[in-house]
Amino acid sequence: MPTCSRSNQSAAIVALVILAIASGCRPERVASPGADAEAAHALKATLVSASSGAGAAAPAAATGTGWGSLTGRFVFAGAPGTPKPLIADKDTEVCSKAGMKLLDRSLLVDPSSKGLANVVVFARKTARVKEASPPSTPLVFDQKQCEFLSPVFAARVGQPIDVKNSDPIGHNTNISGSDFNQLIPAGGATTYAPKAETGMPTMVTCNVHPWMKAYMVFRKDGYVAVSAADGSFTIADLPAGEPLEFQVWHERSTGPNGALGLDKPDLKWTPKGRFQITLQPDEVKDIGTLDVPASAIGT
Amino acid sequence: MSRFSGILWSLLFLAVPVLGVATFAVAPAIDVWLPPDVSEHGKAIDGLFYFILALTGVVFVATEVALAWFLWKYNAAKAAGPATYIHGSHALEVVWTIIPAATLLFLAIYQMNTWADVKMRRPAMAPSVEVVARQFEWRLRYPGRDGTLGTPDDLFLVNDLHVPVDEDFLVQLKSMDVLHSFFLPNLRIKQDAVPGMKIPVWFKATETGQFDIVCAELCGWGHYKMKGRVTVESREDFDRWLESQYAKQEATQPEPDPSTAVARTE
Amino acid sequence: MTFETMHRRTSLAFTGLIVCLAALTGCGKTPPAYFRPNMVEATKQRLTPDQEKQVATILLAMFGTPDEPVCLPETGLDEAKLRLAAGPVRSDIVGRKNGLYREHCAHCHGVTGDALGPTAAFLNPYPRDYRPGVFKFKSTERADKPTHADLVRVLHNGIPGTSMPSFALLPVAQVEALAEYVKYLSMRGETELALMRAYFELDDDAQGKLPETREFLVDETLATVADKWKAAADAEIPVPPMPADIDLVASIAKGKELFYGDKANCVKCHGVTGLGDGQANDYDDWNKAIVEIGKELSSGAAAAREASTSGMSPEELSEHRAQLAWLDKFGKVLDGDALEPRTIPPRNLRHGIYRGGRRPIDLYYRIHAGINGAPMPAAKGTVPPEDIWHIVNYVRSLPYELDGELGADKPMLARDRF
Repeated sequence: MPTCSRSNQSAAIVALVILAIASGCRPERVASPGADAEAAHALKATLVSASSGAGAAAPAAATGTGWGSLTGRFVFAGAPGTPKPLIADKDTEVCSKAGMKLLDRSLLVDPSSKGLANVVVFARKTARVKEASPPSTPLVFDQKQCEFLSPVFAARVGQPIDVKNSDPIGHNTNISGSDFNQLIPAGGATTYAPKAETGMPTMVTCNVHPWMKAYMVFRKDGYVAVSAADGSFTIADLPAGEPLEFQVWHERSTGPNGALGLDKPDLKWTPKGRFQITLQPDEVKDIGTLDVPASAIGT
Repeated sequence: MSRFSGILWSLLFLAVPVLGVATFAVAPAIDVWLPPDVSEHGKAIDGLFYFILALTGVVFVATEVALAWFLWKYNAAKAAGPATYIHGSHALEVVWTIIPAATLLFLAIYQMNTWADVKMRRPAMAPSVEVVARQFEWRLRYPGRDGTLGTPDDLFLVNDLHVPVDEDFLVQLKSMDVLHSFFLPNLRIKQDAVPGMKIPVWFKATETGQFDIVCAELCGWGHYKMKGRVTVESREDFDRWLESQYAKQEATQPEPDPSTAVARTE
Repeated sequence: MTFETMHRRTSLAFTGLIVCLAALTGCGKTPPAYFRPNMVEATKQRLTPDQEKQVATILLAMFGTPDEPVCLPETGLDEAKLRLAAGPVRSDIVGRKNGLYREHCAHCHGVTGDALGPTAAFLNPYPRDYRPGVFKFKSTERADKPTHADLVRVLHNGIPGTSMPSFALLPVAQVEALAEYVKYLSMRGETELALMRAYFELDDDAQGKLPETREFLVDETLATVADKWKAAADAEIPVPPMPADIDLVASIAKGKELFYGDKANCVKCHGVTGLGDGQANDYDDWNKAIVEIGKELSSGAAAAREASTSGMSPEELSEHRAQLAWLDKFGKVLDGDALEPRTIPPRNLRHGIYRGGRRPIDLYYRIHAGINGAPMPAAKGTVPPEDIWHIVNYVRSLPYELDGELGADKPMLARDRF
């Protein structure tokens, strides 16, 4: 067999080995530490038992009397840059009317005061609420010229929201994570009362015009505020005499889940975007100008 | 080679025809034989099968036994004489070319009628159902009350083919994606579903019962489980079933009992 | 060396090589199946390895393994059905087939129900990921869970136009077991998400560990998930009957007006031809999550690259390095633990293929509540029920419509296709 030379054989063996290795290759999956089987076994025993656990009832939260207010102002210390235009390629006779461009509103900084708008501040847990039931006057959430008029919108759970469409074309408003994704015809409106808290703000989109984006946050106790154009915010009628922890959020924050962590040790500001204060009755606490560094805001 | 190994090799080769015949003889008893036939043309097809089996079987046994005998007789250890060099026998070669050729020609002509019955003499009727093969299921479309496929009253089903007994049944076979093969073992039907073609398949079922539809052309990872069920039933049962399925398809209210969402004839 | 020796040596060498290869490929037992953690969420929430381990331990205690499911009474699931569906394919002591999920479902939906089975990446559309607990084709209001009958119906009919096959030929008991196991995997996935998200909500004095108490795990977390499933049976959409004497031609004409009109806005996405060409750039919820993460990662990577390390303090530098490591890890997780995102085109209504079912009531459900997890919005509240029936009748006539936008001389789309 003249073709069965030694070099041919070695080449064949090498080819076989490479084929065998290559057939096993696939993208590496990131490893995760497995479960602790003994701990799981012990835990299962406690979960299956009918007893409600060894812990005593949670200690009654220290409560006070009276109500106070919290106010402050967010200021952006970096250079905001020019907002990018959105690609609005549908219904152009309304959405790009007369060449108008829709701009990305994720970082809105007031040119004169450097105030950072659309920062959300809400109380994480309160022992007391001033008004037990949500107000019945509806808030208005509107959309015009293919843009949601409120880029960040806060409401109380159970409070009616008039979701309006002031455009001559139809939209649908899709509040992700909720049961609301509804068609709203041109000039129409529908009322929605949120049934659950959102935790951190949730995104609102229109599926007919996918560039439309807003955020909504619903809180059970209603202690939530969105900073205005000049960066200022106020939360009124907060329970006084108890330690209150607040969560701060911004759409472009680099923190976990959008949390805005600032360097303010006097307010015990954590990297998870939380700070603590305790109010005296009838106190209007002004936590002052809060500088948001450029590093806290992503691109 | 020693004498002993020579005997061994001849016996080994003799085992081939012996075992071959033995397995065929035992097979029907252990249910490894042709599936029960419930179609009209199945008898002709099965008859052809047995005829060709008998013919080729005889030839097979004869040649194998001859081979084993030559191995035994001309074993090198025993038959130590020198080989004879001959030019070959022209007559012998002619004989053993002409006889098989004639046999094959005979078989070709003998089976033509059955082939024509199954594959060429399409009954003059509108399709009873359109079967679209798809990875990995059989999508069925019955023409509905107006008898025409492609109208709004069609009935759409998956994997659950019903056929009225003792009636000609014409299937329009298509494929939605790749090659499949519509195989009804108990009806002796097998036809490749070729993408882009509408292939007519017809048969007449002679007994009621539930039988398999399987895919006989490798079509992907799910080929092995591309199974359907063909139910042969009386004309009244078939009509009643069609009506009930159509009513379900046109439902404008939810089903009254959740368990009826799963139609069963198990 | 003679030719014979060389030949014999070569043959021996090759035989030896093949025997070795054969032995190696057979060596080692198959490891038992295990649930894959939701790495995308774990990385998104920046969980530490200890926290990932705690979540895995809690889930092992609450839900067990793919071979041995645990069924807490709060879930409301039937343990016997779960046992039928779980584990490797085998026969039990009375000869019933077990391991149904692994036999029929796991190769697409994954052992964990995470749509990361070996076949998943090759399918279009992707198989369902049960972990967010979102299901598209059901008879309940948009954000509610499917009823048991909805799941059984999907198993029975399959989903036409996708790779989800019909399991109509399986015995009832097996289909019921599979539906129950799907609910189990969904509850497990939702509990996993809730636990992973709970780390962010912890107070700082919890030291990054979740409380392993019955109140928190069962009464709060699991009950929130399980109650939604139990409530599904009561959340069925009330469907007013279509009038028996309805004039179909008039209804279809009215439906066509609504389809093209401004109230229902169907043509905006489904296109003026009904071919689904009104839009091509939206995502369903499962893919959108990956797209959003991808955007965040690329902007984070750009920011990290631009940041100059020269002026940083030691804490800032370590934070910067941690951020880079996290971005790198997340990139790997998206490679190995997530499917390539795909846009979801609006349905081509001329095909006559309806994924959620072709009965008029199925189309009513789709239009009334929209499709959960997909961009299809709800017409409820905007379009009154009688009008929804008109739209249903029009949609059902679309595959056979001759004088629509396509014109009478164009070939009809549904007649020759399925």
